[in-house]
Order: sequence, then C-alpha cells, then structure tokens
Amino acid sequence: MNALLDGMLAVFEPSVMLCLGVGVLVGMLVGMFPGVTATMAVALASGFTMTLEPVQGLAVLLTIYVAANFGDRIPSILINTPGTPASIATTFDGYPMAKNGQAGLALIVSALVSAIGIMASMVLFAGASVPLAQLALRFGPSEMFAVVILAMTIMISISSKSITKGLLAGVIGLFIATVGRDPITGDARFTFGVRELNGGLDFIAVIIGLFGIAELFDQLLTHREHKIKPISALGRWWPTKSEYKRIAKPTLVSGMVGLVVGIIPGAGGDIAGLLGWDRAKAASQTKASFGKGNIEGVAAADTASSATLGGSLTTTMALGIPGDSVMAVMIGSMIVWGIQPGPSLFVNQPELVVTITAIMVLATIITLAINLIRMPMMVKLLDLPKHYIWATVLVFCVVGTYATTNNLFTVTVMLCFGVVGVILKRSGIPAGPIVLGLILGPLAESNLRRSLLIDGPAGLINKPISAVLIALAVIAVVIAISAPLMARRRAKASDPVAHSTS
Amino acid sequence: MPRPPATPKSWPNRIMVEPGKLASPFGSADVLPEQTVAEPDYAARPSRRLEIAIAASALALSVTALLVSRAIPLRMGGGGIDPRWWPTLLSVLASALSALLVAMSLFGQTPARGEMEAAEPDGWTRMLLALALSALYVFAWSHLGYVGPTLVFNLVLLRIFGLRSWKALGVYSVVTTAFIYGLFHYLLRVPL
Repeated sequence: MNALLDGMLAVFEPSVMLCLGVGVLVGMLVGMFPGVTATMAVALASGFTMTLEPVQGLAVLLTIYVAANFGDRIPSILINTPGTPASIATTFDGYPMAKNGQAGLALIVSALVSAIGIMASMVLFAGASVPLAQLALRFGPSEMFAVVILAMTIMISISSKSITKGLLAGVIGLFIATVGRDPITGDARFTFGVRELNGGLDFIAVIIGLFGIAELFDQLLTHREHKIKPISALGRWWPTKSEYKRIAKPTLVSGMVGLVVGIIPGAGGDIAGLLGWDRAKAASQTKASFGKGNIEGVAAADTASSATLGGSLTTTMALGIPGDSVMAVMIGSMIVWGIQPGPSLFVNQPELVVTITAIMVLATIITLAINLIRMPMMVKLLDLPKHYIWATVLVFCVVGTYATTNNLFTVTVMLCFGVVGVILKRSGIPAGPIVLGLILGPLAESNLRRSLLIDGPAGLINKPISAVLIALAVIAVVIAISAPLMARRRAKASDPVAHSTS
Repeated sequence: MPRPPATPKSWPNRIMVEPGKLASPFGSADVLPEQTVAEPDYAARPSRRLEIAIAASALALSVTALLVSRAIPLRMGGGGIDPRWWPTLLSVLASALSALLVAMSLFGQTPARGEMEAAEPDGWTRMLLALALSALYVFAWSHLGYVGPTLVFNLVLLRIFGLRSWKALGVYSVVTTAFIYGLFHYLLRVPL
C-alpha cells in the first residue's frame, strides 16, 4: 500500500508537474512536425534530462512519448502527411474526411480514441507486468540469453525489409556493445588507448547520432521545395450520438489488435495502426467507404496505434527488453539514472512502477484536454519553414549530447554515429536492431558466457524455457524469410501473365 | 491483408499536390478527390551496383573486425571463453551475413529500396556543409567557449539551409543561443 501511495504522490510534486507540462508541449510539437519522430525527440530530450531526478526525467520522456502519439495525427488529417510512422493509417480516412469538410470531427475523434487506446493499454500494463516480471525472476543465465535472442530476432524480422540486413544490423549493435572493459575479466577491448572509451561508447551519444543526426542528414539529402497548404476549413468538431455509436465497434476491434501488437518487442504503432484499420474494415458494415473518409477508419487506426503504448511499456519494464524504439532509447536514460528495467525493478522499486503508470495516465488526460480545445494555432504551426526545424534539431543534438558528460569527445562520437547512421539508412540497414543490440549486448554476452561456463552448450537446449524461446526465435527468422517468398509465389500464381512477361 | 487505399508514396514527403491550393496563396479546402494529381515519383531507384558496394564494404569491415578481435590484448592467458571469444563470434557471424549479402547482390534480384527517397543534387552539399560546420563548431567550442561559436554556428547553419532574411537570421541566432544557455546554465545547472 505504501508503494502505491508513494508512487502516486511522487507525480504530484510541483517540479514533476512542470516536467509533465514541458513533455506535453514538446511531444505535441514533435508529433506535429513530419520527420521529427517520437524516438528522435526522446533521444534528444535524454541529453537534457540527465541532470534531473529520475521521476522528473521520466515525466518529461514518458509525456513526450504520449503527447507525440496525439500530435502526429494532426498533419495526417490536415496535410495527408503522417507526423510519425505510427499515424500512417490515420491518413487513409483522416485526410479524405478533412477534404470533405470534416477535419474538426476527425481531429476530435482521433484524440478521443487515442486516449481510450492508451488508457486500455495502461490497464494491460497494470495487470500483466507483475505476473510477467515474476515469471522472468525465475530465469537463469541461459533463459535470459534466450529472451534477448528472441527479442532481437522478433524485432529484426518485423522492422527490416531484408532479413539479412536486419540480422547484420543486430550483430553490429552487439559488436558495438563490446567496446570498453570486458564484463567478466575487465580486459580493455577496442579502446585503442582512448581513455574515454574504457566505459564503453556513450549510449545517449550513439542513439542521438543514429536517430537524430542521421534522420536530419537524410532530410537534408532528400528535401525538395514544395508547398502544400494545410486544410483550414475545419468544419464541425463534436461527433453526434449516432457517430459515437458507429465508432464503438472499430474502437473495440482495433484496440484489441493494438494491445496484442504492443506486447511484441519491436512492433510499434505503425504496424498496429495498419492492422487495426484492416481488421475494423473487415468487421464493418460500411467497408466500401473505408479509405474515402469513413469516421470508423480514423477511430480504428488511432485506437490500434495508441493501444500499443502500454504493451511496449510492459515488455520494457517486466523483461528489460525494449517494446519499441522509443522504449529502447528510454532504457538508456533509465540506466544512466540508476534504474535497471527488468523483473528486479518490481521487487526493488515498486513505487517507481506506480509512478510510471500515473505519469502515463496523467499525460494522457492533459494531452487529451489540450487536443479537445480548438486550436487554429496548430494549423498555423504546420506552415513553419523546415530550415528552422533543422537548425534547432542540430544545435539541440550537439548541446544535448554535450550535457550528458560535459565532454566534447561525446559530441564527436555522436557526430560520427550520425554519419554512420545516414550511411546505414541509405544502405537499407535499419538503426533499430543496432540500438537493441547495443542495449542488450552486455546482457547477452555475460549471460551466454556464464551459461556456457556453468552448463556447457547443452544448457541452452536442455532447459525447457530457454529451448522454447530459442525455438521461437528460429521460427521468427524462418517466417520472416519464407513470408515474402510465399507472397511472391502467390502473386505469381494469381497473375502468371504479368510475371512471365516481367 | 487486403491493400489499404492508395497512400502518398515516400514519407515524410508522401503528399498529393493539389493544384487548386498551389494556385492560391491561402490554399483551399474545396478540392475534390478526383481533382488531385499524384506527385512525381521521388523514390530511390534500385541499384545492383550500390547493393554490391554495400555488401562488399560490410564484408571488408566484418573481416577487419575479426582480425582486430583476435588481436585483443589479454592480461591473463587466452583460450576458451576469454574476452576475445564473443567479439570473434560476432565478427564471424557478421562475415557470414555479409558474404550472403555479396552473393545475393551478385546473383539475386536487385531489391526495391522501400520508402527511401532519392538524394537531391544539392542535398549532398547541404549535408556535407552541415557536417563540416558541426565539426568546426565542436572545435571552436573547445577553444573559445559556448557563446560566440554557437551564435556564428546558428547564423551560418540557417543561411546554408536557405534562410535569406538577415533580420530573421540575427533574431533566431541570438534567441536560440540565449535560450539554450539559460536552460542549461541556470535551470539544469550544466556549465556550458
């Protein structure tokens, strides 16, 4: 009971409330500007929050996570451009609705169902994280190694277009994690006499480089001058009684999809949004109008993508395995604050788990309230020239990285990883598995070496849990390899003429 | 899964050009769906030569990593599961995956580049200038402190990115430099 009360009270400290306000503002803004993703924003904010108390820092980062999830729907609906990948499916019906003069209605429905999705996912977090953590507490070195391998293979098979490049990215991440002192013997590895590398590469610098600088450089490379004016005639705002009834079913169907997808490591709002929209369409009586401005389509896409948040948080906090790329970045910050996500967190700092839940719920309520206020300002902000965003992001990346260590060497590392990141991005090698490998590398190495020293190679297969987890990892890779081949074969069978001439 | 409706192709610039709006400085919400025309395709083209270069570079780096891993100096005797073991295992895995990529790039179908957009001719200049400027900024910061280099960095950066108004350049540089200084120095207690 004390943990519950302490955790709740911690959120209502004035400084934490101030951090919540800052997080909401930043999150809404980054969500609204296409090209600035929640991962990038949380990576950037990590630099600024290092000096804060853990609860204050978590309030900023988690609120950005929540608010960006609301903000990214606005450009999807008004200019047909998703603010972040999680709102891709919102464009299917949101923009046609806006063109039909129902932009206000689409914005309000989107905000309402996003809040419902997040709240439902927080119920999942509250109910599932403790049993999952209790199960994970029984894991030995071989089981922990198997969990890491399973999480990595699932993320790679979901997030990468080429499974080979995805696996290579994961291995690169694990390799980068070996820089510094050996976790068991303390021998220096790949430090080349540089004192700053003894503790390993600075995690925050690497992620700001890979997600912030690389994304910025890619935009600088591909930017074209074109102007599209956001839709300014917003029309009616609040749904009618019959419209509330219409959105109930798609909200429920896609919410379930989002909850399931959220639990899977590496699968985020973008996948859930597309799947949720598709399932709601299949269950709808008005499926012919999906994609042409159907209010059910907006409700389905946004509920599903929002409902992934709690699932991602569950995997992150209960297992220490990041549920999505934002959580991967957040784990890095938490480690710097001395918080080790994983099953032991529930034993050592139960009040923190309550605090995290309270922050997420409060952030959802505040952001929903802001979204329900009609703000013509939001439309005006979409017109802000790109050069201001680029310059601000670059300066904040440099200064934010410097703030983590007060050492310009860290900034150099960040810039180097920015260059590496843009090369990898242009090569089709995803950054997500690299970061996951970097986070989980020490865990994988130390547990594998311990397991091999204690039980030998057979220990990985003889223990039922690790054997099952490794088998699942193999299945994930096999499915990822075979699915595109089967799809190609099916397409060939359905249209043999086109394929014979191509 | 059935195909979703046609969406703009390459995010974040996956948008539809609306002639009605382009003609008017204020835009219009009254453009009908059938009046919209698809934007020219800016997607990056698949390239076998590029795939071979990527795979060959990955292989060269993986083999280098393998050699460097074997050369890790050990304080105590090596052998078995020593500090070299894990990096060696990873570089062997990376070499195998890179060799597979080489084979696929030589003999397989050239893969599509997904949602990636083609680089603009002036994009490389813009990116390399931003990188060089950032490196110079870090160097200047270490010698001259935060304020002066940050002011100049902001000013030159925006100029490169296309802002032409000197008034806007000046105001943005001063405000951003002052805001960051205030935020870090006074609020977060991080000396700059």
